[in-house]
Amino acid sequence: MAHGAKHVYTVGNEGREVFWNAPYELILFAFTAVAMAIFAYGLYRRWQLWKAIGKPEDRTDNAGARIQSLISNGLFQIKTFRDVYPGIMHALIFFGFFVLIFGAAIDATQFHIGLPFFHGSFYLWFSLIMEIFGLAVLLGVVIAVYRRYIEKPDRLGYMGTPDNTADDAIVLTLIGSIIVTGFLIEALRLYVNVNVDGFTWGMWSFVGYALSKTLTGIGYDTARVLHKWMWWIHTFIVLGFIAYIPWSRLLHIITSPANQYMMSLKPKGYLEPIGDFETAESFGVGQLEDFTWKQIFDSEACTRCGRCQDGCPAYLSGKPLSPKKVIQDLKTYWLERAPVVLAAQKAAPEGEEPQIPEPEKLMVGEVIDLHELWACTNCMYCIEHCPVCIEHVPKIVGMRQYKVLMEADFAPELQLTYRNMENNSNPWGIGAHLRQDWAPELGVKTLAEDANVEYLFYVGCSGSFDDRGKKVAVALAKILKEAGVSFGVLGAEEGCCGDSAMRGGNEYLYQILAQTNIEVMSGYGVKKIICMCPHGYNALKKDYPHFGGNYEVYHHTEILADLIAQGRITFKKSVEGLFTYHDSCFLGRYNDVYDQPRNALKAIPGLNLVEMDRSYAKSFCCGAGGARMWMEEDIGERINDMRTDQAIAVNAGTIAVGCPFCLTMMADGIKDREKEESMDALDIAEIVWNAMGIEEAAEEAPSGEAPPAEETSEAEAPKEEPSE
Amino acid sequence: MNIVACVKQVPDTEALIKVKPDGSGIEEGGIKWVMNPYDEFGVEEALKLKEKLGGEVTVVSVGPARTMETIRTALAMGAEKGIHIDDPALYNADAYTTANALAAAIKEIPYDIIFCGQRAIDGDMGQVGSILAELLDIPQCTIVTKLDVGDGKATAVKPIEGAQLVLETSLPCVITAQKGLNEPRYASLPGIMKAKKKPVDVKNAAALGISVEPKAKIEKMTPPPARPPGKIIEGEDPAAKAAEVIRLLREEAKVI
Repeated sequence: MAHGAKHVYTVGNEGREVFWNAPYELILFAFTAVAMAIFAYGLYRRWQLWKAIGKPEDRTDNAGARIQSLISNGLFQIKTFRDVYPGIMHALIFFGFFVLIFGAAIDATQFHIGLPFFHGSFYLWFSLIMEIFGLAVLLGVVIAVYRRYIEKPDRLGYMGTPDNTADDAIVLTLIGSIIVTGFLIEALRLYVNVNVDGFTWGMWSFVGYALSKTLTGIGYDTARVLHKWMWWIHTFIVLGFIAYIPWSRLLHIITSPANQYMMSLKPKGYLEPIGDFETAESFGVGQLEDFTWKQIFDSEACTRCGRCQDGCPAYLSGKPLSPKKVIQDLKTYWLERAPVVLAAQKAAPEGEEPQIPEPEKLMVGEVIDLHELWACTNCMYCIEHCPVCIEHVPKIVGMRQYKVLMEADFAPELQLTYRNMENNSNPWGIGAHLRQDWAPELGVKTLAEDANVEYLFYVGCSGSFDDRGKKVAVALAKILKEAGVSFGVLGAEEGCCGDSAMRGGNEYLYQILAQTNIEVMSGYGVKKIICMCPHGYNALKKDYPHFGGNYEVYHHTEILADLIAQGRITFKKSVEGLFTYHDSCFLGRYNDVYDQPRNALKAIPGLNLVEMDRSYAKSFCCGAGGARMWMEEDIGERINDMRTDQAIAVNAGTIAVGCPFCLTMMADGIKDREKEESMDALDIAEIVWNAMGIEEAAEEAPSGEAPPAEETSEAEAPKEEPSE
Repeated sequence: MNIVACVKQVPDTEALIKVKPDGSGIEEGGIKWVMNPYDEFGVEEALKLKEKLGGEVTVVSVGPARTMETIRTALAMGAEKGIHIDDPALYNADAYTTANALAAAIKEIPYDIIFCGQRAIDGDMGQVGSILAELLDIPQCTIVTKLDVGDGKATAVKPIEGAQLVLETSLPCVITAQKGLNEPRYASLPGIMKAKKKPVDVKNAAALGISVEPKAKIEKMTPPPARPPGKIIEGEDPAAKAAEVIRLLREEAKVI
């Protein structure tokens, strides 16, 4: 039914004349054209800026997986819902708007072309649905205003100061007034029409209907005029909204889904290896141009929602780093630089290099403060919980690479760590020849002695050199032997996995270490590997394949859970007390190993497992990742103490971990909190071995608590440090 | 300013040292070789001086082929060129012969200041720097923890028992570096890459026209005696156990 034609709506054929009382079609078109032009120009301008700076990167492969991300993260808002309260707030606005836009499109189609089904029960349900979702948007806006301006959660700011901008208020006002004026139009229309003969279905538009009942005392002619005014006000706000999109935070309507579509499909925590050390002139990210276009585009998708900041161990412990601030600071800097670069590119004659003026500010050091840069533990909470798939950690590692590889300007204690890794292939700098001495009494064979084993037990530096870590390695080796697992070790041929070098920006050292290990492992034809440390586990599993090291890599908690399920580990002892499991970042968020460690613990008779407030994907880092293990922590509170407090809060007697770094950090936290009497930090392997009850059955040890004798034999007595 | 830094390649402090069965030296297999830490302070001070006053840094080292790695390390840190004195007759040479070789090489190039480590952590002789200064007939400031160079002179701080000496000398001179002089830098990656292309002159004793006849010879090298096993004193009565400890310390260990 073309517009303009009259139609009689009655009970049984309910409907309404779309655009009733608002007949200035040409003016509407003209203004719509203006709004669309402003929108299109804004978007074009932005598009040019997006293209101005950044190295190439393909984010369009594997469309299927990308569409899946778009559907789950965009359409269904899965990640947004992980935080229920703001998730619902956004969902009310998002889904409300989504439906209203479809409704408006149906209205417009009905007006211009005519829809054969736009009457009767379809119309009534349509009216009701539009009403509900309109109300939803309004409710969402009210919650948003309440949250942002009254409740003021820390995440909508930085260090206690809200980061509200005028744009936030404008956008909320725009959305709110679109809905309010929409309801008012409806109320006025219903007010005028409700007395028309035979119009009885007004209450299907229940909000407008209720409002219309309050409009007593206005003449119908006045109401018609008011309606007309309100209609135009509504229309102008809507057109203004459209025009405003590319110039405001509303741009996220476009950039966020785009970023969700272009999300990284690489393994979680993936860092692009530096391909060519010999000929490249620059390493890492020292200026915007060193980022890929996508890394810069990330900042355009950021809505400042602050989910990243909410679980960032650095931020929460009072360090200057906030992932949100990093992204926003990069965006601000990019918005300063991109127009300058674009202008220079346009000014350059065809085929010539553009003369781009030097930036006034250093990106690494000024835009991003070095304290921010080095506070990151690479825990990946930010990436895991970013609803728009921003990848913060690779940017931070990229900038660290610049500081380490290009400028060699970084913390002296980390320099020492790297020298130790260079000279003795472990961060402590203990003689590399002592690597095999973690348990000489166990008689674990090296692959050099017998390579015909199912698994390589990659002990790692902690298990080989750290006194606390050695106990875990011993417990694990004993369990594996007891369960009849065929395994061997590399002994002195094993090297540092390199994780701390990679995450601390020393990609060169990391690749040397990785390649050395791969050479040895592949030389023995290693196929399956058990790692005791999640850092080695993650590196071997996900990063070594870049250099031709392709192995089946398991963390020991995966193996333990499996052996228990198979009945190859049985428990003779029950344990007492309350246990809590601390998720290591490199197990949980990086590799989705959440259930296996818990399953292993739950299988132990008498073990009471309680969850800390922050657990699973929301686990709180111990503070040792991202090479932070080797660095001083001199700003704010200690992260490990905060995590220990979280365990104390649930009255845990034992903090169970699956990572030697976490073990050190939790043990230190327990000491700092003076809870050594009542609390302990243990690796799951130790808890399992203890509950297997074999040691006690075998011998009535004079002191059951004492660790196995690990004194190095006389020939290997520790060497004297050279005196200075 | 022409700056020279002498470096020696030594086993890493954590390396497992085994003496050869014939006592002629140590087993070199499996050892991680590094730059002598005291020489590293010297190289760092040389680089700082260059950055302050301009000029270039030449690294000089005596040792077998593997020594080239250590020279490259200094070049990666920022030195301009190297001289590698490689002659089998000079491997494990005594302090005098080594200093003599260094002096011969240094005499061929212009120099305003020469840095050495105050000693090397392998042989622990602590003589090369001083002998080098004597052979070149220039002043020396040894075991220096602070250095200031300008106006044709050097002012050096040398800690002594309970005090510190402030020494002033004309240039050229030899400075031997002590821990505390500076924090050696970490080589940047472009530095490491560039170091591979920097010029290093390789010379032997004949080219330098020096005698390789040592003044001192290592007669025999022996490992330190094995540490005897620990003893746990058993018993119920603490007083009796204490008395036993005293007895053992006096009669067996003979320390009290």
